[in-house]
Amino acid sequence: MMDEAKLKQARASWEKLREKYLAKLKPQKNLSGIPIKTVYSPEDVAGIDLATLPGVYPFARGLYADGYALTPWMQQMVFGFGTIEETRKKMETLVAQGMEGYFGNKVFNVVYDIPTMYGIDADHPEAEDNVGQCGVHLCTSEDYDELIRGWELETTNFSLITGENCLPGLAHIVAAAERRGKNPDSLRGNSMNWYPRIAVQDIPSWEPKHGYALMAELIKYCTKNIPAWNTTNIFMYGISEAGATPVQELAYGLSWGKSVIDAGKKAGLEPDSFVGRLGFQIGIQMNFFEEIAKLRAHRKMWAQVTRDAGCTRPQCMHARVHIHTSGNVLVAQQPLNNTARITMQIMAAVLGGVQSIHSCSYDETIGIPTEVSHRTALRSQQIMMWESGLRQVADPLGGSYYVEWLTNEMEQEAWKLFRELEEHGGYMKGLEGGWVKGRIDASAYATKRAIKGGELPVVGVNKYVMNEKEEYEPFRVDYEIERKAVERLRAFKNKRSPSEVKTALAGLRTACLALREGKGELMPALIEAARKGATNGEMMAPMREAFGWEVTE
Amino acid sequence: MSEGKIRVLLAKKRIDVHGRGSKLIARELRDAGMEVIYYRFGTAEEIATVALQEDVDVVGVSIMTSGHLRLAEKLIPALKKNGMNEVLVVMGGVIPEADFERLEKTGVHKVFPPGLPGEQVAEYIKSRVGRATLN
Repeated sequence: MMDEAKLKQARASWEKLREKYLAKLKPQKNLSGIPIKTVYSPEDVAGIDLATLPGVYPFARGLYADGYALTPWMQQMVFGFGTIEETRKKMETLVAQGMEGYFGNKVFNVVYDIPTMYGIDADHPEAEDNVGQCGVHLCTSEDYDELIRGWELETTNFSLITGENCLPGLAHIVAAAERRGKNPDSLRGNSMNWYPRIAVQDIPSWEPKHGYALMAELIKYCTKNIPAWNTTNIFMYGISEAGATPVQELAYGLSWGKSVIDAGKKAGLEPDSFVGRLGFQIGIQMNFFEEIAKLRAHRKMWAQVTRDAGCTRPQCMHARVHIHTSGNVLVAQQPLNNTARITMQIMAAVLGGVQSIHSCSYDETIGIPTEVSHRTALRSQQIMMWESGLRQVADPLGGSYYVEWLTNEMEQEAWKLFRELEEHGGYMKGLEGGWVKGRIDASAYATKRAIKGGELPVVGVNKYVMNEKEEYEPFRVDYEIERKAVERLRAFKNKRSPSEVKTALAGLRTACLALREGKGELMPALIEAARKGATNGEMMAPMREAFGWEVTE
Repeated sequence: MSEGKIRVLLAKKRIDVHGRGSKLIARELRDAGMEVIYYRFGTAEEIATVALQEDVDVVGVSIMTSGHLRLAEKLIPALKKNGMNEVLVVMGGVIPEADFERLEKTGVHKVFPPGLPGEQVAEYIKSRVGRATLN
């Protein structure tokens, strides 16, 4: 098809044009360390299979045949602060601002505060100063009733950004649905179920073997009882934010995904019954085309991993991706500049063909986002969605010599690291011994040195530095919230039947000890505890006792 | 200050997330020849207890998920109560610059913005350690 003689002639002319300055050209590479030329041409894609289309296995060009033509991506802004009262208001604001999921459905990507995430209630001494600060404090059945109040369950997506309390969180929302007379299968949403992030996030969590068992327990419960619930968030964003290069993010993320499939299979599930409900959360760093190539390679690689694992349904081979634009690349100096970074990241995500996006706010490096910065981040997505034409064509960069070559290159480099980790024993082994963490920490250190040395330019940090004081006033969550949360908790506890709570918690403790030995189910006992009014912290206490609790660095 | 290496207690709350910044600072302070004790704390009193036990010259607190003002208000008196009137106290992380002055009024000697090269922190520590007092 290609006129080779003509191309040869063009190449000869091209080489002549650059003779004079060729020696001056500096070698360049992307963030993954892949050498990048200044020009790409048909020869670079000669060995790459380009005879494919969007929606068709292996999905490098996208999951859906017409891209965003039927519906745009989901706008899933992370939000949540204070008690449920403040967060309810924010939910309503976001709906009014047009935040939507597929086909206009509602999506709520609710982040919990860190005491809730790690299973301590507002009245715990270590919760002090953190209640409702970087997320919402949700610990009682009343909180969950209020979370879902008035929203139509079948069309509303509740993505619960829990920490290690994802099983108690799910139990609470199931019990809240029941109180509305609904079966669990009417619920739509997402559990994080992201125990393996312990490898990169320096957080307290379960002992590895128990962490994996709890993950499998949640998947088993949902597969049977809430088939439309997205059970697991394979948190590549966490890998990226901890310092991984984009190629490392791909390799370790896919290995993490494989470890979840393996855990499900070990628990007796057929791959086709649960793999389609696993999803990815991926970061977007600053090298534009590298990120697009990463997303294209990711879909292709996951299709292969799932097929190798025994999946036969196309939906089970779909790498469904939620993007969280990188918070780490945002800088505190001249914070408004971050809007340019965020805009570019959203564009990379859209051109990469993802299903859902959270765009960061420009002031996240200073504190909790303000109403204006959060709204601007949402509006930035909406401008891409409605003004830019970016979504008119599926995979518009498909066929680009550079992007196709780079997609292939990222894939090959990532397979190398993937295989290295698999040969080491797989992701779970890699997190137990610090193998994954060590490699990512080394990349983080290298990046920081490169910024310090100036090889990696960052505007406002090592280039165009202004030594003016930034008196930016971030959003403040009043510490009164803490008192209010404690009062709400006390009032709630006074309404419960102490004997019923005690019995339910005893049942939970028994179920925890049984699961520890690989027997029985935990979710029914958690749901029963939620029905009887056990708080998040009360449910997490016996879990910590049974499944170990450690902080790793 | 005792002979030999400067001893730094680098504290991060147990339930805090994203250890990238604090771990990098720990490594960079070690690169600068300091001994760093990386400690995940529950409450301000616990930091003061460990600071005393470990006989450190510097207490550094890394903050990711807020609570810095109230923590400082509890930490400084707790250190003084333990008789550590000459310990150098620094903070860093996601802290608004608008709060730096308030933190310094509370008794924190210096607050650093996120992403700063560790050398700058090390230089500051070297220039002030052993000469600080907690007011």
